[in-house]
Amino acid sequence: MPKVDITVEVCGMAGDGTIAAGGLVNEAMSLGGFSVLGFDSYPAEIRGFGRCVTRSRIGSNEIGALADETHILISLDDLQSRSRVPFLARDSAVLFDSKPDTLLEEEQSLAAVVEPGTALFGIPFTYLATAATGTSRGRNLAALGGFAALFGVQPEWFRRVITRKFQSKGEKVLEVNLKSFDAGFHYALEKFADRLRPSFAAANVVAGPEKVMLSGNQAIGQAALDAGLKLYFGYPITPATPIMEFLAKYLPAKGGRVVQMEDEIASVGAVLGAFYAGARAMTATSGPGFALMTELITHGVMAEIPAVILNAQRGGPSTGLPTKTEQSDLHAAVFGGPGDSSRIVIAPSNVAECYSFTVQSFQLAEKYQTPVIVLTDFYLDNRVENVVMPVASEKEKTDGNLYPDESLQGSYHRYLDTESGVSPRSLPGMEGFAYVATGLEHTERAQPDYTPEIHTKMTGKRHRKLQYALEDLPVPVEYSDGGQLDVGIIGWGSTFGSIQEAVNMARERGWKVAALKITSIFPYHEKEIRSFMTKCREILITELNYEGQLANLIGHLHRKEVVRLNQVTGVPFSPSAIFSKIEALLQAGVS
Amino acid sequence: MKTAATSLAEQIRHIKEAKKFDIRSGALPTWCPGCGYFGIHQGLNACIQELGLAHHEVVTVSGIGCAGRYPFFTSNYGLHTVHGRTLPVAQGVKLANPDLTVYAVGGDGDGLAIGGGHFPHAARRNVNINYLMFDNSIYGLTKGQPSPSSPVGMKSKASPFGTLDKPLNATLMALTYGASFVARLFAGDPKGITEALIEGTQHEGFAFFHIYSTCLTFDKAYKTWAHLKQWVHPIPEDHDPADLRRAFDLVLGDDFSTGIIYRRE
Amino acid sequence: MTARHVVIIGNGPAANEAAISLRTQAPDARITIISKEPIRYYKPHLLPDLIAGKVSEQDLYVNPLEFYKENDIRLRLGQEVVHVSFATNEVVMEHKEVVRFDGLIIATGGKPRIPEPLQVFEDLMLSLKTLSDAKVWKERLRWVDSVLIVGGDLTSLSFTKAVLSLGKKVYFILHGDSFWPVRFNEELSSEVSQRLSDRGVEVISCRKILRLVMASEDSVEVETDGRKLRVGAIGAFFGLVPDVKFLARSGLAIERGIVVDEFLRTRFEGVYAAGDCAQVYHPKLRDYWVSIGYRNARNLGRVAALNLLGGQESAETAPAGIFQLDDISVNTSWWTEF
Repeated sequence: MPKVDITVEVCGMAGDGTIAAGGLVNEAMSLGGFSVLGFDSYPAEIRGFGRCVTRSRIGSNEIGALADETHILISLDDLQSRSRVPFLARDSAVLFDSKPDTLLEEEQSLAAVVEPGTALFGIPFTYLATAATGTSRGRNLAALGGFAALFGVQPEWFRRVITRKFQSKGEKVLEVNLKSFDAGFHYALEKFADRLRPSFAAANVVAGPEKVMLSGNQAIGQAALDAGLKLYFGYPITPATPIMEFLAKYLPAKGGRVVQMEDEIASVGAVLGAFYAGARAMTATSGPGFALMTELITHGVMAEIPAVILNAQRGGPSTGLPTKTEQSDLHAAVFGGPGDSSRIVIAPSNVAECYSFTVQSFQLAEKYQTPVIVLTDFYLDNRVENVVMPVASEKEKTDGNLYPDESLQGSYHRYLDTESGVSPRSLPGMEGFAYVATGLEHTERAQPDYTPEIHTKMTGKRHRKLQYALEDLPVPVEYSDGGQLDVGIIGWGSTFGSIQEAVNMARERGWKVAALKITSIFPYHEKEIRSFMTKCREILITELNYEGQLANLIGHLHRKEVVRLNQVTGVPFSPSAIFSKIEALLQAGVS
Repeated sequence: MKTAATSLAEQIRHIKEAKKFDIRSGALPTWCPGCGYFGIHQGLNACIQELGLAHHEVVTVSGIGCAGRYPFFTSNYGLHTVHGRTLPVAQGVKLANPDLTVYAVGGDGDGLAIGGGHFPHAARRNVNINYLMFDNSIYGLTKGQPSPSSPVGMKSKASPFGTLDKPLNATLMALTYGASFVARLFAGDPKGITEALIEGTQHEGFAFFHIYSTCLTFDKAYKTWAHLKQWVHPIPEDHDPADLRRAFDLVLGDDFSTGIIYRRE
Repeated sequence: MTARHVVIIGNGPAANEAAISLRTQAPDARITIISKEPIRYYKPHLLPDLIAGKVSEQDLYVNPLEFYKENDIRLRLGQEVVHVSFATNEVVMEHKEVVRFDGLIIATGGKPRIPEPLQVFEDLMLSLKTLSDAKVWKERLRWVDSVLIVGGDLTSLSFTKAVLSLGKKVYFILHGDSFWPVRFNEELSSEVSQRLSDRGVEVISCRKILRLVMASEDSVEVETDGRKLRVGAIGAFFGLVPDVKFLARSGLAIERGIVVDEFLRTRFEGVYAAGDCAQVYHPKLRDYWVSIGYRNARNLGRVAALNLLGGQESAETAPAGIFQLDDISVNTSWWTEF
C-alpha cells in the first residue's frame, strides 16, 4: 500500500474559522488511523484580526517533525493565502473559494499567484454553505467537505468529529456545520470527478486504538493533573500561558488551586513554599520569567526544597521573540543563578514525553529534594500530535518524599550527609522534626555555618544527589542499527523529530548514520553518551541556538571536536537542512 | 491555626505536658544586645503560648536582614528564604497546608524595597497568613544604609549628604492595598504586640503588623529608643477598627498611634 | 504602444507564440496567460498519435513550466474567463477576480462543432479536441472493437488512421457538406471515400442519421436512412467553432470567429484575436478567412503580438495555405462559405 506523507494547510483571516477547520482536519485524519502532527500559527500581536495558518502533516507512518513543503492548501481567504504560495510543493493542490461575496482585484487573488503546476480547485465555499444552511458560517466546513471529496477522506470521519465538536453547541449549530460539510463534499465530488486525487483512501490505513489530539501544553497540563498537582502558581507569558489556562479550568474540580501571582519570582517562591509544606506544586514560564526565578531556584537547590518549573523556551535573550521557537535556555536552566547550583533538567522531545516527563518531574523533585526544570519550547508546546491518551500509573504518581524515621524525633538532622546525599525530609506538622530550611550554607542540623569544612561537605552532598538521580532519569535513546557509524547526531527537545527524519532520509541511501536523543540534560548519562560517540566517526550536535549549548555541555565527551549545527531562525529545523549537513560531513570524510 | 475552644484547652494541656511552651530555640539570637527585635520575639512567643499553638504546626517564613534571622531563634518550622520573597513563599506554605499557622517576618527593606511588589498582592489576595514587618528604618545587617522608611535627610555612609527620597508609610500602604487586618505596634511594648498578634492570628485572612523598632547600633539619630518612647502612643479608645475611613484618618493624621487600626471580617 | 500588462486568453499555439513574441519584443511587459484547461501547452495535432500509442503524453507538451518562469510569463492554468469589459479593460474570471489589462490577445481556439440536427445525440458521441478527450478515447478503445466516425474533418482522417492502427473496425459516414471548414466537391469527396475504403474503412453513404441508442455499456446502435449497425463508439468530427462564449455581451463582433482586420485588430484598441477563434480579413480575397492548424495558429499569435506592440504586420503574409494530409490536398486558409 502506498505510503502517505501529506501536509495540509488551512489559511484564513481571524474569524474565518481557520483554526477550527485545521483542528477538524487533525481530528478526522487521526480518527482514520493516520499519524498527525499539527502546528497552528496566528498573529503574535493582538490585533484581533490577522492571518491564521494551521499546518497538519498527515502520514501513514510515525511523524517526528513538520515537513518543509505543503501539499494541500485550503484557503479561506485569498489575500492571506497568497503568502503561503512559496511553501507549496511542486505538485500541490489549492482549494479556494471560487465565489466570494465580492469581486477580487488581481492583487488580492490567490489564483493570480499560484504556480501553474499547482492544481486549483475552485469551490464556492460561501455560496454552498449559504445555499445549504441559510448562513455562510459553515463555509470553512464546506471547504473541508471539498478537501474530503478530492483527496479520498471518508466523509464519515469528518461527520463524527464535527458532531463531537459541535453537539454541545446545540442542534442548530451542528446541523449548519454538517450540512455545509456535505454541500462541499458533494459539489467537489461531482465537479472534479475526473480530477480526484484519493491519496488518503489509497493508503488503506487501519485505525488502531483511539487517539486524541494533544498539544505539548495540554499534555503537560494533563500530566500535572494526573500527578496530583495541588497548587499551580504562574504569571502570564507566551508560550507557557496555555498551561495555566488549562489548569485553571480543570484543577479546581480536583481540589487544587491555580493562583495567578504578581510575577514569576512570586510564582516560584510560592511553589517552593508549597513543596516545603508537602504539597505538589508547579509553575510554568518562559525565558524572561525563568530569568527572574533563578535566585529562588538556587534557593531550592541550597535549602533542598523540591520544585517543578517548566520553562517553555522562546527566542531570546531578553523579551526576544515571544512567538518563535528556540532552545537557548539550556545554560540558564542547568547553571543559571549564583553559586554551584546545578539542578535536574529534563527535556521532552514530543507530546508523549511532555506528559510522562511532567508526571515524573514531581517524584524526581521530591526524591532528590531539588528543583526540577522541564525544558520545552514554543514549537513543542504548541504543536499537536495524535497520541493514545496517556495514563500515569500508580507507581509513577507515588509520593517521592523520604520522611525521617520516627525514632529520630528530637535528634533530627535535616541535612544528614548520607551516601546518596539525600537526607530524610520532614514536613511542617510532623512533631519533633522542626527545622529551618535556609539558603545560607548550613550544617546537617540546618544551622547557618560558613566554615570551609561545612561548605565543602555540603556542596559535595548536594551534587552527589544529582549523580544518584541519574538512575531515575530518562536514559538517552539511540536510533541506530548498531555497528560503526560515519555520522552520529545528538539532539534534544523538539529538534529531535527533525533529526530522526533526516537520519531516516540518510539511511534510505544506505549511509551509516544514527541519532541519539538526550532527554536528561542535567545530570546527563555520560557513559551512554560516550558509548554512542565511540561508535561514530563524526558527532553532529544539532540545536536551535547560536552558542551550541548542549554541545558545550557534552561535547567534551567525544575524542575529537564535535560538529555543531545551529539555527536561530525562530522556526524548527527542517529535516532537509540536517540531511544536507550529514551529506556534507560524509563528503568531507571521503575526500 | 484557628482552633475551636474545646480543643484549645486540650492542646494547651498537651503542650504544657510536652514542655514546649517556649518557642525560643537553643540558638542565641545574633541581634545586638538591646535590639528592639527581642521585644517582638517576646511578643510573638507569648502569643503562640497564649493560643496554645503546637510548635510543629507553626511556620515562620523570613527573608534576608536582621529580621530574616528570626526563624533560627524559634523551635518552630522555619523557612529562611531569599531577600524580599517572604510573602510569596509564606502564601505557598499556607495554601499547601491550611492547618499550619504561618508567620511571615521581615524588615522594612525586605518588605518595602526589594519585596515591595509582593506586599499589595498578598494583601489583596487575602491568604490567611500573618505578616510582621520589623520597621527600624535602616538596613542593619549591611551596616546602616537608608531604607524605604528612613526620613528625608538621613545621613549614613551611603548617604553622606542626607537622603532625598520620601519615606513610605507601611500602615497606610496596607490600608490602601486592602489588607483585611492592620495593626501598628511598637517593639518596646511586647504586651501590646502579643495582644494584637492574638487577634490577628485568629483573623481569617491576611493580617499585617507594622512594628516600629530601633536599630541602636546604626541609628543614633532617628528611631532611637528615646525618640520612639516619646512618639509612640495608643490609638484613641473610641477608634472603630471596622471603619476604613476612620482608619485612614487616623493614620494620615498620626504616624505613631499604635493598636489595631483596621479589621474587616 | 508600450503594453504594461498584456493578458492572453488561451494556451494553445497562438497564445504561446504570442506570449513568447511579446517577451522577446517587450522585455518589460507583464504577460499573463489565462487558460481554462488545467494542463500546460501541448501540441493538439499529436492527439491522434497519442491515441495510437505512437507518442506519450510527455511528448505532447511543448514547454516545461520552468520556461514560463524563466521568461517571466505568468501562466494561470485551470482558470476561466467569463467576461471581458472593454470599457474598463478588465477581464472577469469565473472565480470572481478582476484582472486589468493594457493589451489583450484572445486566442481561445475552437471547440468541437456538432451540426444542429445531431445535437440531440451529443451525449452519445465523442469528439477529439483536448487532451482529456484523447484520454477518454484511449480508455474507450481498450474495450471496443469498432468505431463509427460521423462527419469528417481534418482531424478525423488522422484519427481514423490511429484507430485502424489499433486493429479496430472503422465505419465512416461522410456527412457530405459537413467536411468543415472545407466544402467538399464531388471529386474530393469520392477521392476521400476511395482512400478510406482502401485502408479498410467501411464508408457508409447515407443522408441522415435517424437514431442513436445506447445499446449496452460499450455499444451504441445506429440507424440511418439505409442501414442499422452496432458500434463500440461514435466520434463526431465536424470541425471547430470558435470558443468565445465569454465574449457574448462584450461588444466584439463575432461571426464564425472574432472579426479582426488583416492586422488582427478587433474594434477595441489594444485588443487582438489570433488562432482558431479569429475570423481574419484577407485584403486580396476581400473576404474573411478562418485559420486552422498548428502552424497557422502560431503565425497568427506572433502577428498579433507584434502588432499589439505597434507593428504593422499583415496576417495574410504567411498563411500556410495548403495542408497535405494522407495525400489529400486541402486548402484550409480560406473560408469558402463566405
